[in-house]
This record gives sequence, C-alpha cells and structure tokens, in this order.
Amino acid sequence: MNVVFYYFNNFGRIMSALEVHIFIFLVSLAFSIVIGMTISIFVTQEGRKKIGRIILSVMGAAQSVPSLVIIALIFIFVGIGIKPAIIALVIYGLVPIIFNTTSGILSVRQNIIEAGRGMGLTQNQLLWKVKIPIALPVIMGGIRSSATIVIGSATVAAVIGGGGLGDFIFIGLRMQKPEMLISGAITVSLFAIIVDYIIAKIEKKVVSKGLQIKKT
Amino acid sequence: MIELTNVTKKFGNKIAVNNFSLHIKKGSLTMFIGPSGCGKTTTLRMINRLTPYDKGNIVVNGTSINDIDPVELRRNIGYVIQEIGLFPHLTVFENIAIVPRLLKWKQKKIEQRVEELLELVTLDQSFAHKYPLQLSGGEKQRVGLARALAAEPEILLMDEPFGAIDPINRLKLQDSFLEIQEEIKKTIVFVTHDINEAIKLGDKIAIINEGNLIQYDNVSKILSDPADEFVESLLGQDRSIKALSLEKTKDFIIKDGFITVSNTESSENVKKKLQDNDIRLAFVLDEGNHLKGRFLFEKPSKTKKQKFIYDSDPWIAERQNNLNETLSKMLEAGEKQLPVVNRKKEFVGLIRLSDIFEEVNKK
Repeated sequence: MNVVFYYFNNFGRIMSALEVHIFIFLVSLAFSIVIGMTISIFVTQEGRKKIGRIILSVMGAAQSVPSLVIIALIFIFVGIGIKPAIIALVIYGLVPIIFNTTSGILSVRQNIIEAGRGMGLTQNQLLWKVKIPIALPVIMGGIRSSATIVIGSATVAAVIGGGGLGDFIFIGLRMQKPEMLISGAITVSLFAIIVDYIIAKIEKKVVSKGLQIKKT
Repeated sequence: MIELTNVTKKFGNKIAVNNFSLHIKKGSLTMFIGPSGCGKTTTLRMINRLTPYDKGNIVVNGTSINDIDPVELRRNIGYVIQEIGLFPHLTVFENIAIVPRLLKWKQKKIEQRVEELLELVTLDQSFAHKYPLQLSGGEKQRVGLARALAAEPEILLMDEPFGAIDPINRLKLQDSFLEIQEEIKKTIVFVTHDINEAIKLGDKIAIINEGNLIQYDNVSKILSDPADEFVESLLGQDRSIKALSLEKTKDFIIKDGFITVSNTESSENVKKKLQDNDIRLAFVLDEGNHLKGRFLFEKPSKTKKQKFIYDSDPWIAERQNNLNETLSKMLEAGEKQLPVVNRKKEFVGLIRLSDIFEEVNKK
C-alpha cells in the first residue's frame, strides 16, 4: 500500500526521472547502433574476414564483463554526470550490436554472395541489398538485447550521476525506503518490457517476409 | 563468341588451368566436363572475371575481358551456379528483376520481362510473389535460369546447375532447358561432371583433366573418336547406345496416321470420324492443345473382335527426349507409337517405333 501512496504522491518526480532515463537510453542506443554497425561493416568486408573473426571472439568475451566495471572505469577517466554515463552505456551497448551484426553478415551463405558478384553487384550493392537484409533478423536481435542492457545499465549509471530512475533505487536503498526503491524498480522494468515489445514489432516489420516463413 | 588463348591459372604452385585455347561459337552450347578439381569451374569463372587468370587472353565478342569493367562485364553475362544462390529475402519477381533494376530499366519493362521469363521457364505467373523458401529444387532452378536471362545477356555461364537435383527431375529440367535454348539461342558454357548430361545437352564438349584440355570437339566426334584412354574411360562401355541418344525425338515427329479431336466431342462422333477416315487413332486435346486422352481401335485378331477403347492417361514421349529415352519408354509401355508433347505439355505429334528402328539400321 505504501508503494501506491508513494507512487501517487511522487508521480511528477518519477515521470521526470523516467524522461531522463528515456533520453539517456535513446541517445546511448542511437550511438551504439551507428558506431556498432559501422565497425561491423568495416570488419566484414572482403579480405578483412580474419579481423571479423577476431572481433567476434573479443566481443564474445566482452559480453561477460559486468556493466558496473565499465561504468566505474569511465568514472575514473571521464568523471561524473550524464555525459560520462552516456559514454559508458554506448560502450557497453556496442557489444551485442557488434557481435550480432558481425556474425550475421559473416554467416550469409557464400553461394548467395557468389551469385550476387556473378550478376554484377558492386561491393556496396552486395552489402546493402544482400548481406544486411539477409543478416537483419540477427542484427535486430543484437539491437534488442542492446536496448535491454542499456536500460538496465542506465539504472546503474545513476551512481556516477547519470540521473534517471536509478536515483530512486539507490536513494531508496540508502535511506531504507522500500516504497521508493520499488517504485523506481517497477517503472524501469515496465519501460524495459515496453521497449522490448516495440523493437520486436519493428523487427517483424523490417525483416523480409521471405526470411520469416517456415519451409513448406 | 568467346575465345580463350593460351590461358593459364596457378593457385600457389599448383597449375589449375594449363595453357587452354578454345573457341566457343556464338549460339552454341559447350559442355566442360572432367573430374572435380580438374579446372573446369575455374575456367568458367575466369570468363566473367570472378577468378583472375595469370597468362593468356580471353576475348568476349571481340573485346579482351581485361578491358571491360568486371561489374559491367558480369551484368552482360548470365550466371547460374549449383545451389542457384537465389536471394531468400526477395520474391521470385525481385530476384529476376535484380539486374534489370541495376541497369535502371523502367518498371513497366521489368514487369513485362519477368512475365515473359516465367512463361519461358514454364512457371505459373503466381510464382512471382513467392519467396525462394516456398519453392522446390526444380522450381528454384527455373527461377535461377530466368534470373540469369533477365537482362538478355548473349552469354550464359552455368556451373553444374542441375547438380543438386534428383535424377528424375534432372532429366525433366534438361529437357525443358534444351527446348528453352532452342528458343533463345544463347552462347552457353555449361560445367558438369555427368557424361550423360554432357552428351545430351552439348553441341560441343571440352574434356578436361588435371588442368589440361584433353579433347574439344563435337559430341558425335568425341563418341566415335575418343582422344585417349581417359576420354574412353569417361565415356564408359556403352558408347554405341550413347550414340543413339544423340538423336532427338523431335526430329522423328510425324503428323499423320492419327486425327485430333476436341475434348468436348462425344465418343460416338469420334468413332464415326475415325471410321470415315479409315484411321485407328485419335488424340483428345483441350482448347490449350494439351493432351487429354486417346481413342483407339485395337487391331482385330482371330480370337477377339475389334475393340474401340478410350484411354484418359496415355503414355507420352517428350519432344526433347533423345531416341534412347523414347525407345525405352515405348518398350516399357508396350506401345508401337507414342504421342509427343513439348515442355508446356502441348501435343505436337506422334513418334513410331518403326521409324526409330529404321534409324538404328542406318547406323
């Protein structure tokens, strides 16, 4: 009951924290997508596949580094505030995007690429008209897990002054006010679920039907 | 026209293609055959610059291919590979339209062309909106051929296109492929490891072993005069029967000795027509000229009265089958004559056992 009271009494504060959270999330994810895809495209070009495979193993390992470690490192080198928080989240959010985009592009079947080359597609056309559309389900999977990770880690980034819903959780914890803690936690969880649902919808829309049908 | 002059290719220290010279005539179908790793695919891939060559020269339509931008060159040469490589994220229509779109054709023209090509490879227009995952192996192969032909290239390179298809469907695909080639008359280079396929399809065969061009000749010349033991072993023991397979059913089609009737006619009518013309055989066709059945007066014998029978599913011979195939069909069916249909299943005439025997005796 305390939680409900707390929630209604502090609704305005919670919503403005959510706004900050959404802002941090959107900016971080956008940077992660742009930087991550650029890196992946670069390392999967013909002749660079070795680098691609190395990147894959590095990213595989990086996925098991806790977000708190990255956030702490950024705090040491960059300092406190919303900017360092975003930098940390961009770096952490990059990992699944690079991992999935790289492995998605590398796993496009060789005969499909050969057929494309044989028909006279340029490297660029092969990339944008063949490799990326075919790898898109995997790439979207990477963006989806990146989104979930960024929302969760943004909560942790409150410790270096990132703001957002993490403040409610940490302050609630320190002041031993469970209703405050729970209000923050519920809001951030709902937000994560909604974002995941929206990205799943987008995925269904942008991925070609030809890749979604079951073999008859 | 494709001209290879002293073309050599090495992979590391291994010579993959050793000093090839061969001239491929415009409008001809040339088969490259040999064991795997012999250099046949490498040679094919050098023609559209997917694999660069080390020495010699390749000239296509009078221009050395090194003077043509590879992307430009490839857009003017159709390319079909074994697993076809259809793009799974595009519909059949979009797959076929790839090169025309790269060449910036108008949408109307592309739509027309796709329609034409689906017709050519005998796929229903409804296939245009299907995705590759919804197609059978044979259908994929047909789409692959249509895609390669989309921008009307003069030259077609085919790398074991029927390799992954089961034997029965492979024969069907070969038949319709031959008929299509008769219609489009492209310059085709076709890589295979199946000698029967090479004999059946090829105008000329290039036999390749360990990077060397062993023999390059007309099919009949290779069958009658193999260059060495390797060629002989490749051809196998039954060379004389294989020679029969050089003759095509279509060259023995006759148009008399039967009448055709519409499938709306009553059997009484047909019977009367046959008796009036003193003919024993009538084929029933629908409005699209498709064979729907046959009427037959069986030969009277001492013990039996003459019988008038109708057969709704008669044995048929395919126009593109060689004599060998048609002969074995006749023997299997126990028929002395078979109706002949083309790849669209349209009735085109009759073939008689006696004519085949006459041909055998000539040899």
